[in-house]
Amino acid sequence: MIGGLFIYNHKGEVLISRVYRDDIGRNAVDAFRVNVIHARQQVRSPVTNIARTSFFHVKRSNIWLAAVTKQNVNAAMVFEFLYKMCDVMTSYFGKISEENIKNNFVLIYELLDEILDFGYPQNSETGALKTFITQQGIKSQTKEEQSQITSQVTGQIGWRREGIKYRRNELFLDVLESVNLLMSPQGQVLSAHVSGRVVMKSYLSGMPECKFGMNDKIVIEKQGKGTADESGKSGKQSIAIDDCTFHQCVRLSKFESERSISFIPPDGEYELMRYRTTKDIILPFRVIPLVREVGRTKLEVKVVIKSNFKPSLLAQKIEVRIPTPLNTSGVQVICMKGKAKYKASENAIVWKIKRMAGMKESQISAEIELLPTNDKKKWARPPISMNFEVPFAPSGLKVRYLKVFEPKLNYSDHDVIKWVRYIGRSGIYETRC
Amino acid sequence: MRFEYLAVRWPGLSVETVAGAMPYHGSEETVKELRRSLCNPNVQADRLRYRAVVLRVIRYMSQGLDVSGLFMEMVKAGATLDLVQKKLVYLYMCSYAALKPNLALLAINTLRKDCTDPNPMVRGLALRSMCSFRMPGISEYIQQPVLNGLRDKASYVRRAAVLGCAKMQTLQGDTEIDGAVVNELYAMLRDPDPIVMVNCLRALEEILKHEGGVVINKPIAHHLLNRMKDLDHWGQSEVLAFLVRYKTRTEDEVFTFLNVLDDFLKSSQPNVVMATTKLFLLLSEDFPNVQMDILERVKGPLLAICTSECHELCFLGLCHAREILRSSPGHFSDHYKKFFCMYSEPNYIKYQKMEILRDLVNDENVQQILEELQTYCTDVSVELAQVAILNIGRIARTYSERCVAILKGLLGLKQEHVTSAVIQTFRDLVWLCPHCTTTVCQALPGCEENIQDSEGKQALIWLLGMHGKQVPNAPYVLEEFVDNVKTETSVTVKLELITAMVRLFLSRPAECQDVLGRLLHYVIEEELDMAVRDRGLLYFRLLQQGVEEVWRVVCGPRSDPSLDVISGQASEAVSTWSKDFNTLIPIYGQEEWDRLTAQKGDSLEILQVSAVKSDEKDTSPEQREEMAVDSDSVSLETSAHLSPEQFEEYWTRLEPAKVVTVDWHKDSCPDAIQTAFQFVHIQPVAISRAGVQPWKAYLFAKNDAGPLFLIELLTVKGKRDMQITVKQENSSEPLLNNFIAVVKSVIQALGETKS
Repeated sequence: MIGGLFIYNHKGEVLISRVYRDDIGRNAVDAFRVNVIHARQQVRSPVTNIARTSFFHVKRSNIWLAAVTKQNVNAAMVFEFLYKMCDVMTSYFGKISEENIKNNFVLIYELLDEILDFGYPQNSETGALKTFITQQGIKSQTKEEQSQITSQVTGQIGWRREGIKYRRNELFLDVLESVNLLMSPQGQVLSAHVSGRVVMKSYLSGMPECKFGMNDKIVIEKQGKGTADESGKSGKQSIAIDDCTFHQCVRLSKFESERSISFIPPDGEYELMRYRTTKDIILPFRVIPLVREVGRTKLEVKVVIKSNFKPSLLAQKIEVRIPTPLNTSGVQVICMKGKAKYKASENAIVWKIKRMAGMKESQISAEIELLPTNDKKKWARPPISMNFEVPFAPSGLKVRYLKVFEPKLNYSDHDVIKWVRYIGRSGIYETRC
Repeated sequence: MRFEYLAVRWPGLSVETVAGAMPYHGSEETVKELRRSLCNPNVQADRLRYRAVVLRVIRYMSQGLDVSGLFMEMVKAGATLDLVQKKLVYLYMCSYAALKPNLALLAINTLRKDCTDPNPMVRGLALRSMCSFRMPGISEYIQQPVLNGLRDKASYVRRAAVLGCAKMQTLQGDTEIDGAVVNELYAMLRDPDPIVMVNCLRALEEILKHEGGVVINKPIAHHLLNRMKDLDHWGQSEVLAFLVRYKTRTEDEVFTFLNVLDDFLKSSQPNVVMATTKLFLLLSEDFPNVQMDILERVKGPLLAICTSECHELCFLGLCHAREILRSSPGHFSDHYKKFFCMYSEPNYIKYQKMEILRDLVNDENVQQILEELQTYCTDVSVELAQVAILNIGRIARTYSERCVAILKGLLGLKQEHVTSAVIQTFRDLVWLCPHCTTTVCQALPGCEENIQDSEGKQALIWLLGMHGKQVPNAPYVLEEFVDNVKTETSVTVKLELITAMVRLFLSRPAECQDVLGRLLHYVIEEELDMAVRDRGLLYFRLLQQGVEEVWRVVCGPRSDPSLDVISGQASEAVSTWSKDFNTLIPIYGQEEWDRLTAQKGDSLEILQVSAVKSDEKDTSPEQREEMAVDSDSVSLETSAHLSPEQFEEYWTRLEPAKVVTVDWHKDSCPDAIQTAFQFVHIQPVAISRAGVQPWKAYLFAKNDAGPLFLIELLTVKGKRDMQITVKQENSSEPLLNNFIAVVKSVIQALGETKS
């Protein structure tokens, strides 16, 4: 019998998880990601045993399907079940891809509910299932077909119904970024990347056509050819996007040919795009650690943080976490700003600052008393980690415009109330000490 | 205000406050936002919007965000006519019911109402979901709906109800099994719906887990046989697995089974083929000729699986083919080409195929197989190439001349990983097949330039030391190693180097004396690793004893030649592996499987359960009556103490109260026995070491009520049982019987668990 079934994308993010038996916990989901998907080697066997749990896995294009069990099962049956699952999904919505799985999320849960009960395969015939589960999956078309349909603007768009009306046409645009950093003790950036999302909330009447513009390097360079002066200026301000994905409403063919992002937005809240950048990242904070061992029972730690952005902006919810050795007996902290506390249960000094303006610096010094131990092993010195929130995009992304056209109704681009907000947050932001 | 940093505003627009703008980060805010949407009457009125919000909740749930806080709102959302939304809500409830048992009870009413819905889809769905709530105390609410469901006229509902019985049992844990339900399920094996029938088997198996699972007697077995054709292939393979349990009475019956099920051997579904094969092999255990015939017949279907397009199935097929090869070497020899590797296949398949090819070699195909393996030796994957070389080395034990020629050719590639693997293969080969030595030695000069890894170096050094007489430049090659010893990081290479130098010194003293001296000096004076230094000192002192003595020790005759690994495998009996056919064991391998399953935690769980059960199971009806009297129940003191002297005194004073024997055919493992008995509060006094004959163990236990029990366990070599002698301080017959039941159950449980 099958204890649980998980579907992951190639990064190991869980798309679907369904647990059938009690003996499979949530940690099984992560175990597979860490041991198989993130393992940098070739798959050693299609059946992997982690902590006495067997994972049967197959990969379809970029998608991993894993069936999990703790029993000594009939392996052929489990694999055939996974194949069957793939077949059924294909017959419902075409190719098994991340996009299709996300779009047919409900359908897949319905199918999983129907095909397996308590981990035992039940009725799996597609024909029969289609009489049970009538919900229309969204069949994926080729890009041409998709763009054709969207350009028809006849209400055949899956994500927007016709006849939407608002008294006030309004839209909100949020650029949400998380900045990740690993820095050496000497202040050298070992790795840094920003993963961002552009989230939109639209309250627009009718079937509006939107065009979204940002300071994408490729676009700017194309346009900047005209005036040399501007290209010089914009060269600094444009950003290079490593990879990005869009909501299904965006016309990909147009993006690929002209790199313009145009779409008919869904009503309400949705994620317009996701992107990742690795170059020219503005690191909002620098952490400068100084650790000195005074004898065997004392440790002096001094940490300076410097904010590196416009003085007019304020960072919020700043938290610096300074790890302490396991044999710490007492800690005395002095900080210029904010509050710092030694948390014995977490083996760390946690320093919190509510707000901090740009181009400032603040420091904390701590004296850590240690219990003498027999342990000869040196303390491994985990990195200092940091959390914060800043009102700008660390990738440097700027929204240049968002134009709305609705020819049929009598409102123009100028009548739409638009809001933009940038939030940069720390992802994994670590400085080694 | 939270959004004071709203920095950019569009020009030409009036300032507006963004009341409750969009929260994205953090679960708290998300949950709050979702709750707001779920409660919004406008959303609730719009079916699609309502469903979309519910969908978002589920999406967050899949991503691992804790949205259990929305339970109330979701329960409300479940009271809808929209079946899709209902399903989503039920999915949500199944995940969080255990966390919010109080709120889940609120949902029960809705669900119970749904169980009487005119639409069978709704009834089945509600029943299935309700039984999946993982929370204690729910069984009283679901019992009635499940029982009604068993008699529902829609098979869809009955399917869910039958498995619901099994879910109920697992929820309740070790409480008593409801005989009425069990009987009903047995009766439902005759249900017209095939899936209901198979579900009954599955449910019974789970409910009766501790009593050995569902009983397959003659009428049931024959009924199942007749129904096989109606089942889908999941059901077929499951039923085939259950039929394995049936013990056929007569030869005729065996052949009836074989005839009826013969078609399934040719099924298009690999799982059915495998399950049928297993059943056939076990059925024909007493008829070796029939068994061989079955193996012959299964060859085609199994080969089909091995060449399947699906890599995973192909891998399974190969693993099982290797099992068959254990009993019937050369079984697939005529089809060896099917095991040639495709370029696009993943390595795990290639490794299996190469090992099968190695086992299939015979006089006719050796040429082709070797040529094939030779092409793998130059694969881009280093590991694959090395495995291919090692496999050629294995074939060399039988066809040494050809293989050594191929291996020598590979040295010409001058690739580091290839050379290293070839040299390692040579080392193993000359040890097993001394007649190859001369050829191997001719190939050695020049190899040292292409070896970088320590395994390869070790092998080369060993060869040069052992057979340096036949390699003209051996001293000079080793001298180079000695010159570089300071930069050598591998300890094992250094150890090998010392031994090889001493060996070579014995056969070619003139050329080696100086080098050996330098090496020993370095090792003793400068080396930091203790093991290497000690080895150096050992040889140094040995050399002081005189060359004769060194010769005797270092170059003494090797082990008894009769102990050599026999080339060509002896075939094993089919029964050694047929029981594990079509399970995970052929995939993981027996050793790995034993390692995975041999965990103390697990075996203790079994013990606990069986210790509790045994009281009811092992005693006769009369004893059961007596057990009802409280004072006779066994409740042992947790920390009783008795010194060995006291024990001895009691033991000699008391007469044996009861002597029983139980089945026991394992090696006794003192640790396991000690832990097992301590688990039920029986303390050990003395236990023989494992393997001692006769094996004895002395234990004692003290009942809370007072009486003391003394136990002796005795096993004698050759006998397949264990004698248990119990002595009791104040004799009380019923108490004694109960106590013995406990002891027996522990022994049985130990016998069942793998050591």
